[in-house]
Amino acid sequence: MDKKLEKILPLVQKPARYTGGELNSVVKDKNAVDIRFAFCFPDSYEIGMSHLGIKILYSLINARQDAWCERVFAPWPDMEAQMRDNGIPLYALESGDPVAAFDIVGFTLQYELCYTNVLNMLDLAGLPVRSKDRKTLFPLVVGGGPCACNPEPMADFFDLFMLGDGEEVTNELLDLYKAHKRKGSSKTEFLRDASKLPGIYVPAFYDVAYQEDGTVGAIVPKEGAPEKIVKRVVRDLDRVFYPDSFVVPFIDVVFDRVTHEIFRGCIRGCRFCQACFLSRPIREKTPETINEQCKALCRNTGYDEISLCSLSSSDYSHIEELLSRLLDWTPDEKVNIALPSLRVDNFSDELLQKLTGVRKSGLTFAPEAGTQRMRDVINKNVTEEELLETARVAFAGGYSAVKLYFMLGLPTETPEDVQGIAALARRVVDEYYAMPDKPKGRGVSVSVSASNFVPKPFTPFQWEPQATREELKEKQTLLLHSCPSKKVNISFHDIDTSFLEGVFARGDRRLSDVIETAWKQGCIFDSWNDHFKFDKWMESFAACGLSPEFYANRRRDYGETLPWDHLDYGVSKGYLERENEKAKRAETTANCKIKCAGCGANKLNGGHCDV
Amino acid sequence: MYDVRIRLSKRGRIKFVSHLDMFRLMQRAVRRADIPLWYTEGFNPHPYVSYLLALPLGVEGLSEPIDIRLVEEMPAEEVQARLNAVLPEGLRVESVAAPFHKPAEIAFGRYEVFLDKSDISKEELTEALECGELTCEKSGKSGHKKIMKTVNVSEHIRRYAVDDAGEQIKLEVVLPAGSTFNLNPLQLMEAVSARLGRRVYPPLTVRTALLCADESEFR
Repeated sequence: MDKKLEKILPLVQKPARYTGGELNSVVKDKNAVDIRFAFCFPDSYEIGMSHLGIKILYSLINARQDAWCERVFAPWPDMEAQMRDNGIPLYALESGDPVAAFDIVGFTLQYELCYTNVLNMLDLAGLPVRSKDRKTLFPLVVGGGPCACNPEPMADFFDLFMLGDGEEVTNELLDLYKAHKRKGSSKTEFLRDASKLPGIYVPAFYDVAYQEDGTVGAIVPKEGAPEKIVKRVVRDLDRVFYPDSFVVPFIDVVFDRVTHEIFRGCIRGCRFCQACFLSRPIREKTPETINEQCKALCRNTGYDEISLCSLSSSDYSHIEELLSRLLDWTPDEKVNIALPSLRVDNFSDELLQKLTGVRKSGLTFAPEAGTQRMRDVINKNVTEEELLETARVAFAGGYSAVKLYFMLGLPTETPEDVQGIAALARRVVDEYYAMPDKPKGRGVSVSVSASNFVPKPFTPFQWEPQATREELKEKQTLLLHSCPSKKVNISFHDIDTSFLEGVFARGDRRLSDVIETAWKQGCIFDSWNDHFKFDKWMESFAACGLSPEFYANRRRDYGETLPWDHLDYGVSKGYLERENEKAKRAETTANCKIKCAGCGANKLNGGHCDV
Repeated sequence: MYDVRIRLSKRGRIKFVSHLDMFRLMQRAVRRADIPLWYTEGFNPHPYVSYLLALPLGVEGLSEPIDIRLVEEMPAEEVQARLNAVLPEGLRVESVAAPFHKPAEIAFGRYEVFLDKSDISKEELTEALECGELTCEKSGKSGHKKIMKTVNVSEHIRRYAVDDAGEQIKLEVVLPAGSTFNLNPLQLMEAVSARLGRRVYPPLTVRTALLCADESEFR
């Protein structure tokens, strides 16, 4: 271990975040590989090590003889200060080598508020933050993840983005990189070829023109880059690579367990939910495969909990068969199964029976809105009766704490809809006290978590204005005042961070300047309340002559060229428009199992969708 | 049920893994090692692993005792080999045997503390250790309240020796350890730093053994 590093570690919080050497971390001979890949997660170690995508791609790259993938996380500010004071550049955990010495530096962009951390990490690595200032083929700075669906605010900092599922395109990119490195190609020569790989977006090869009103005029490709970049879709989840071991962190991270993805996509089509539309079409894994992979993972990590993850676990076609298979061996091995993301409308008795052998975590449901009209607008096809019935079953089963998720600021929301949230929470409380044999001396607790709606690209609400900060403030106050019950606890999300998230979610390239300015003003870890500096952000918008309200609070016409119009995620604009119109009429759309709504995503999978 | 005492060495960068994290790490390791573990009863059964005395963050250990419980007998060499096959870099099971002493018999820890000569001279160190009035702040309890207590470190130094070790000074020291009162060498060095008026942090600190009240080795 580096002597300088060893000297500063006793001075920082949780030094085991910075040592490497965790179980199952992969160490190779750097002279025996052609490509060194630094997988960067632009947030703390605890958040990054909980993320499934990094585990999959880490193992996938390391399965290649010719490549070595290492992990890099954003050092916490106390560590960053020590590193800068002692001249220690950003390094990768496995080798301890500086990130600047790597061939490819890859960032996963999971949420908009991590953008300044990307710049800070590049700077800590000693690299220029802007793509145009990095002249050589290495290190190449690449990005992926959900925010790559509109990466325009980060376009100036990245050399390329990978759209959609990463498993196949990553290998293709590494093959291409290796060939060009051998030939001694220039960065531009490499990027020209890379832009021809399906799913690869090289932002420098697109000229964006703006109109007088500030909207995007035209997006014109050059250097032979394609007009539309289509996201990648892995066709067969049974055959695609999945790791048989995870790096096991020393310290307690947010999700410290075996995580297994059971399917991609979602049949529900809730109109606010970007994850649903970004991950279509639906592709399921078979229970046999999931079971075998879970067994191997438990054996190789020693974890005692498996979490089955997806956007809506109870919609998985073979959920009962899967649980039966897992429950064949997990009780003997003292392994628990967690099944998050359950819906209230198909939380069946059979499922509940199966889960009785499983550890009870708190119960969380997401009605998302307080009135039926509002739930119809967002196509959350859940009725109040279904929610109350589920609460009854849960209370009868011994639960006395329930958490409910809602959103404020949804399109067409009225004061009655906001008050409806409080009314619904109160009715859940009433259900508890209506139980004939409720436990004596124990009260009920209903937690209401109200977040702020942020319109996102590739959703039916992509044209909608986000509620202004003032409107959101009013809605929060109204909700608070309409809920006098002591049994109901209400918590809110920070309005300023939601506003900024709204700006970057639908932003364009001009915002690169704002991000760089804010970072230079000391903005990092923006998603952490104690580090978020809203004033600095507002100063940065002003300094760059851009209005954040233009991006967050403006209604777009269907005809407007959106900054992400050259990116194709399968769902068609026509479908999104139809859904937007139906939302205005408070009309619901049936889920994909009942009737295909023709979103268009199946064209990326040869017309196939696992419903 | 069979109680087994493992002696674990913890060397290198893994010294930055805290006691609480070591505890979880060992629970997972024994699960992977495929040894016939006894699980605790109750709603969340977990393997019985008892770490007898915490090792301070940043300190290496040569012989840290950990007790585990088995449901059937297994040869000591086999338990050792199976555990060593699954432990991360820096951790090694040095021996496996039936417990001899009771955990409460731990009375002292023996440490080697390596200091850079550029940070402190032998004379400064000896003077500080001899002064009789080294103090440090230690968190303690008064009833249920947490308070900071000032501890006279000097009176707790059981014995020590200072030697040259190339560019470094090696301090060998025996300090109280166990469930009633603990003083670790990093706290001792804090007290020395306070007296000198500058921070002296040892690049390497190793607990070489735990001792009973008569200074025989704890087994």
